Amino acid sequence: MVELKNVSVTYSNGVDALNDVNIKIKDGEFVFVVGKSGAGKSTFIRLLLKEIEPTKGRIQVNGFNLTKMKKRNAYRLRRTIGCVFQDFKLIESMNVYDNVAFVLRCIDASNKYIRNRVPYVIDLVGLKDKAYCKPSELSGGEKQRAAIARALVNDPQLIIADEPTGNLDPALKHDIVELLQAINDCGTTVIMVTHEHEIVQEFGGRIISMQDGRVVFDDIIKSSYDLERQ
Amino acid sequence: MKLSGVNYLFRQGVRNIWTNRIMSVASFCILMVSLLLVGFSTLFIVNVNSIIGGIENKNEVIIYLDDDISQEKIGAMENELRAIENISDVVFYSKDEAFAQMKSEMADSEELFQYVGEESPLPDSYRVKVENIEKMSSTLMAINNLDGIYSVKAPNDFVNVLTELKRFISLISVTVLAALVIVSLVMISNASRASVEMRKREIEIMKYVGATNAFVKTPFFVEGMVIGILAGAVSAVITLAGYSKVMEMIMSQQSLWSAIGSGGFTPTSSVAVKIVIGYIAAGAVISAVGTVMSTKKYVKV
Repeated sequence: MVELKNVSVTYSNGVDALNDVNIKIKDGEFVFVVGKSGAGKSTFIRLLLKEIEPTKGRIQVNGFNLTKMKKRNAYRLRRTIGCVFQDFKLIESMNVYDNVAFVLRCIDASNKYIRNRVPYVIDLVGLKDKAYCKPSELSGGEKQRAAIARALVNDPQLIIADEPTGNLDPALKHDIVELLQAINDCGTTVIMVTHEHEIVQEFGGRIISMQDGRVVFDDIIKSSYDLERQ
Repeated sequence: MKLSGVNYLFRQGVRNIWTNRIMSVASFCILMVSLLLVGFSTLFIVNVNSIIGGIENKNEVIIYLDDDISQEKIGAMENELRAIENISDVVFYSKDEAFAQMKSEMADSEELFQYVGEESPLPDSYRVKVENIEKMSSTLMAINNLDGIYSVKAPNDFVNVLTELKRFISLISVTVLAALVIVSLVMISNASRASVEMRKREIEIMKYVGATNAFVKTPFFVEGMVIGILAGAVSAVITLAGYSKVMEMIMSQQSLWSAIGSGGFTPTSSVAVKIVIGYIAAGAVISAVGTVMSTKKYVKV
């Protein structure tokens, strides 16, 4: 569960990035967070990863009270979260298998577990044939699938996808969101940050819209597919 | 942490050297140049001090005794001289021994001794060595306080020059060495920072996926240490080869080492082990710590 109570963030340069924000996301939800540049989406994500501290308010993520948690213990929180980024953040010198296995190395998983788990997850995202390719040998969509496999491999409670379709062709965007929805169907909470309204309208669901550091809309909308059926 | 995890981190550290080979070579070269600079300067200073020490050891005070001094008093004076602090060696020269030595040293001027006759015109004397020439004046004062002394001959001007020279060289040595160490540390720190900067993305990813700070830093530590050990070993070989060559050249110049005394130089064999251990230890520690310190900024994600 993710819960922000009266959270405000003011950066050292005086900019109010978030202003008295209240958000509650239950386990197993799929939420789109939308808003223009500067709306506070990135600050929201950085707070959830304990990259920054709130100026005011209380944050709870996956059972951790982030307000009380010390920065040096942030790794415990992050091991329960999978991150997918717009620029993929894959290590160029490693192949897909090693990029995915890297997460399990970081959490000190056994070699046996890594050998079993990594091929399974790579297969799950449809990259079985590309497991030993370097990121430079992959298309944008494949890179994002590799990044999703990496986010998924340690079986996180929450996946945060920050503009995961930002660098992709329209057809691939649809595939990536479908993949994230499939992961969500298995019980993982997914928070997808995007500024692409077409995707949100296409898939529907819970939408949190932000503007000038405030939540201006938080409700469920129907997908264009549902609307067409009506 | 599991053994497989430790093994992985060490392998990763060694592998990173090859993966980032351009930066590894740059770090290696900078570290090697720094070690060579500091090492050769240290050896130069050690040798200058050793030469001054050699000259100091040659420093001798001659104490001429009264003509009417008794044999008992001469014997007692040896103990009194030995009791004075800062005197390391006491040798008695009888008037006959001194005269015989004078004759042998002035063998070309035999006719001069015809007028002197067979009896020694020189007084009995003690020749003593002063341990620390900086305390020469207090030592001379203690000698002059003894009974039965006719006169004391000490190389005062030489001592003053040597003392000043020693102070000056010590000051210059410390300043130059400190400057070289600072320059080397800055160079090494910049090299490791550039190397880490190239991999800040990798560190960022590690932190996002839940790696602890120790997990992030260990491969950098291993990488820095291995580069440091290699740079230290190569620098030690170059230094030993260079130093041996220089010593060989000095020893072949008879006029040079006979003026200074061959014992004034520190032989290669007495510094070889210190050079190897010192270089490798300094290389490993400076490089490993420098690299890990450079990651500090990036692990704060």
